[in-house]
Amino acid sequence: MPKLNRDDWIDLGRKLDWDYSYVREEDVFPELLSGRPWLLHAEWQHWDEPYRTTYAEYVDTQADKDAIVQGVREAVGRVEDFAKLDRSWLNGLKLHAATMAFTEFTAGIGDIRGARFGRDGAWRTMALFGALDEFRHTQIPLLLMHELVPWDPQFDWTHRLFHTNNWMAIALRHLVDEMCVGTDPLEFAIATNLVLETGFTNLQFIGLSAIAHDVGDRMFEKMVTSIQTDEARHAQIGHSVLAILIRHDPERAQHLVDKWFWRSWIVFAVVTGFSMDYLTPLAARRTSFKEFMEEWITDQFQKTLTAFGLKRPWYWDFFIEALDTYHHMVYASAYTYRATLWFDFALPGPEERAWLREKYPHTWDLLDPVWERITERWRTSGPGIEWSTQGATMPGFCNLCQIILSNGTPRANAARVVEHLGRKYIFCSEPCAWIFSREPDRYADHKSVVNRMLAGEAPPNLVELTRTYFEMTPEVRGEDMLRGRYPWLRTHRNDPGLEV
Amino acid sequence: MLVPLYGFLAGDTLGLVLLVHDDDRVHVIAEQLQLAACVRVAPRAQAQVYFRGQRLDPQLTVSKAGLAPLDRVDVVPEER
Repeated sequence: MPKLNRDDWIDLGRKLDWDYSYVREEDVFPELLSGRPWLLHAEWQHWDEPYRTTYAEYVDTQADKDAIVQGVREAVGRVEDFAKLDRSWLNGLKLHAATMAFTEFTAGIGDIRGARFGRDGAWRTMALFGALDEFRHTQIPLLLMHELVPWDPQFDWTHRLFHTNNWMAIALRHLVDEMCVGTDPLEFAIATNLVLETGFTNLQFIGLSAIAHDVGDRMFEKMVTSIQTDEARHAQIGHSVLAILIRHDPERAQHLVDKWFWRSWIVFAVVTGFSMDYLTPLAARRTSFKEFMEEWITDQFQKTLTAFGLKRPWYWDFFIEALDTYHHMVYASAYTYRATLWFDFALPGPEERAWLREKYPHTWDLLDPVWERITERWRTSGPGIEWSTQGATMPGFCNLCQIILSNGTPRANAARVVEHLGRKYIFCSEPCAWIFSREPDRYADHKSVVNRMLAGEAPPNLVELTRTYFEMTPEVRGEDMLRGRYPWLRTHRNDPGLEV
Repeated sequence: MLVPLYGFLAGDTLGLVLLVHDDDRVHVIAEQLQLAACVRVAPRAQAQVYFRGQRLDPQLTVSKAGLAPLDRVDVVPEER
């Protein structure tokens, strides 16, 4: 029996749409669930993406990828393999794994909504594959890190983080719940597929896999490579949606891009900025986080904007300045509040600080005194005395991104207080305040950690807050990676003879 | 009455939450914030407190200075 050519049948399964005879199109795809501007399908009918994958092809490809990941896991994914890795890298791994697993899961929910309410059959098919991808990206880190829990209980936070009220969990949920659960498929496509995936994580995975290779972490390298190939496919939804959105509502397109680029940047800077500039061993650092951003993110993103006829976000100059400071400000702050987080922190020593000065020549002079002060306190206390370099006063948190107030520079913090309907809100930056001001009803009722504390919903002192509300038990709470036992930190006065 | 304020110390990397009394003098804000941030920034003997760009008289009380809950104050240590 003769077989049809692939092109003769593929769209029957992949891009299946039809005219409705007993319901209206707006009832099948209500604006609330499908997104605005609401357009007749005639406007979406040419929606397409370049992969044109069938379900059978998807399953075959994914099975092959899973077999490769499983093979690498069996070869180099045991506890003894991880135990050989650099300690700072392992802590970057804890940060990445915990922030990744349930972000991916939540993205799966957004994709499922697209698989039902996306406005074209090809969009819905790709969104279904995207959902399956995201659940795979949830399962892989959960599987790989689970085996490490008996060895190091901080890895338990790969699964646990999103189920807690840890301040980082509150910040992540505030982002991904809105991005993936609180959006319609159209905004989700711009926020997640176009901005976060195409703009940030797809390229991040390429960079991270190269660094993982250099530090000898073959398992992580293979994991992110495998995930990246999925992301590259389903991220195509974003471009195709944006092309049609721009034709009908360019102002909304620009707003969504501006909003989600900033929201994505804030979290990306913390996770990837920490990893690249502080938690990757110096010998394995190929570029600084800023150089990586300039080469892979800002250039590519600007090309995308130009291709679609969009402008750079209005806060672009502030963003460019933040490349020099933001992740450094958050890292130095978080180092001194490390007991509130589930991974250990590296104290940058003379060589690391010289490297940072070389990479950030315009701003490092503002930041280096903080590390000098912390180092001096370690010298005074001696190793093992964690409290001597930990803050005991409650930090403030942004009412939009929910991260500590660390935008701007040490000389001029960018936080600002705004009143809305009689309530005061504080924002870490002008873009966070702007995002709030555009949709106050969406954000106004959310309480930051400080608001919860003042309302009696969270313990009023930091020790109790850390222990019971952030769920930081002695086994998992963050400490200095070497408990202050750095060879370069030894002095005659306090040298206990320990060297790592 | 306790007044929670967002305090920003020049040279520091984040804003902190300070709890002061409405009858505390403004200089208490500078002292409290420097103490709270001392793991990152060495305290100085003298520091000025600013609210909405204006320097506050250190002898004013918090309420007389017009500070209300969740306002932002800036503390700038004086150079040695």
